Amino acid sequence: MRPRTAFRVGLVLLVAALAAYPAVGTGYGVRAMLQIFMWVALAASWNLISGLTGYVSFGHVAFFGAGAYTGAILITSAGWSWPAAALAGGLGACVVALVIGYPCLRLKGPYFAIAMLGLNEVLRALVSYFEGLTGGGNGISLPTLEATVPVYYAMGVAAAAVTLLAYLVITSRFGLRLMTIREDEVAAEAMGIDTARHKLYAFLLSAAGPGIVGALAARDQGYIEPISVFPLATTITMIVMVLFGGKGTVWGPVLGAVVLFVSQELVWARFPYLHQLLFGSIIVAVVLLMPRGVLGLLQQKYHLPRTI
Amino acid sequence: MTRPLLEIEGLSKSFGGVAAVDRVSLALEPGRIYGLIGPNGSGKTTLFHCVTGVERRDAGRVRFNGERIDGLEPHAIARRGIGRTFQIIRVFPELTALENLLVVTRGSLAGAEARARELLRFVKLDGLVHEYAGNLSYGQQRLVEFVRVLMRDPSLILLDEPAAGVNRTLLNDLLEAVRRLRDDGKTILLVEHDMKVVMGLCETVFVLDHGEKIAEGPPGVIQADERVIEAYFGR
Ligand SMILES: Nc1ncnc2c1ncn2[C@@H]1O[C@H](COP(=O)(O)OP(=O)(O)OP(=O)(O)O)[C@@H](O)[C@H]1O
Ligand SMILES: [Mg+2]
Repeated sequence: MRPRTAFRVGLVLLVAALAAYPAVGTGYGVRAMLQIFMWVALAASWNLISGLTGYVSFGHVAFFGAGAYTGAILITSAGWSWPAAALAGGLGACVVALVIGYPCLRLKGPYFAIAMLGLNEVLRALVSYFEGLTGGGNGISLPTLEATVPVYYAMGVAAAAVTLLAYLVITSRFGLRLMTIREDEVAAEAMGIDTARHKLYAFLLSAAGPGIVGALAARDQGYIEPISVFPLATTITMIVMVLFGGKGTVWGPVLGAVVLFVSQELVWARFPYLHQLLFGSIIVAVVLLMPRGVLGLLQQKYHLPRTI
Repeated sequence: MTRPLLEIEGLSKSFGGVAAVDRVSLALEPGRIYGLIGPNGSGKTTLFHCVTGVERRDAGRVRFNGERIDGLEPHAIARRGIGRTFQIIRVFPELTALENLLVVTRGSLAGAEARARELLRFVKLDGLVHEYAGNLSYGQQRLVEFVRVLMRDPSLILLDEPAAGVNRTLLNDLLEAVRRLRDDGKTILLVEHDMKVVMGLCETVFVLDHGEKIAEGPPGVIQADERVIEAYFGR
């Protein structure tokens, strides 16, 4: 079998196994997988804007939170079904991205990163303030509903969809153009590439996934509050996952999400303090020793396509 | 006189107190090769930046095909048919040589690929199409930048020291390519320090000194111009 065929067969088998898993897995196992799916979707989304264009979004969890609140409000106040609310969560996040992307994507380097950090704080403050709609600091409780397995599938589909989207983008000329923004924005403009428009499109694409999984997570947890859906730590985790796996590649964020989540679970359970230390060490080690991440390193070294 | 392709009127740009480009006016007719020379720091690159929108001009007008282009965004200017290279190389280092060319095209990727490979073959880079541009030698990167400009088929091409770092044999090919572009009806404005190149290639030469245009004319006349000699050797 050629490697490509083998890879495809493996992928199909993996999807089949994941689809069958809730029938045989433990409750803990299903919950863990559900979270891995969520992290894959988040990391792969961050990669779309930051891995490709080099615009480091330091507040990407804002879209997760925007989706969570959109979904939760629609479910509780408007009686929407959670799948519809999840899609609306993605849309809500895109609206936020559209409103703030236009001014913020003009900022360069650290200024964009800080502006995104600020956005997250502003959103958190806004949902705390508009108590009538959001419950303020008390948060929102969703009607009880046992939906772990359906949400597992929904998260799985979201993870697969974002990964497929990343594949389509990275193998297209649109994706190459996003990379020229990372490589040299001045040259890209001088070559006729409308960088502002391309950045905005990438930003919108990168907001949809977090918005959807934010709404799914809200449904899954049954309760949200400002501090639970806008934590800076979630953004940092996304970033570390992508940097570890390899930014700008298709499978890097997936690898990063799986490896980091699993190692976190293993260590977290046993050594809660060590966990922080380990996480910090991984960040430092990746940045110092392997700035391209695992797959990025392989890709550069062996001239592999970015679709690894 | 045919209608100028590019018309610059009273263009000025200063950085802090330094007038990098000072009320420069010039016109380029279609189908010709022009030279832009001047001592270091005389404003040649800044002039390119202002025409292509990379820097915002302080004053003056730029018309291309009769249409005002000053104030437009760089990509909008590029799309009207102005291509340029940079004095300090600006390839996309982590894209391959081939991708550097493909990324700037419109239309179908397949059609573009044939053209891109042809251009890379022309500059003797056909063995390196899948190499990251950042791994190529300095001279090779210049060539990638040069052919990348051609992918969009611009009618005006601004070249900022295209010969720097390119080896002799390839340099001759490059100069030949510039002549052929002219024969195809393109207009080329070339910044170059190598006087032999300028004298052999250009039909009209503009000379800048301290941001001001101090002379304009055929290479032979320019070489004998007192102000030009003074600008280069005088002070
Ligand atoms: N971004 C900038 N900020 C401040 N000063 C600048 C900037 N760019 C150019 N200058 C100044 O403007 C003047 C013209 O510079 P420019 O690079 O256009 O000259 P040049 O003719 O291209 O020189 P060279 O032959 O060395 O390439 C110089 O005095 C330079 O120091
Ligand atoms: Mg210069």
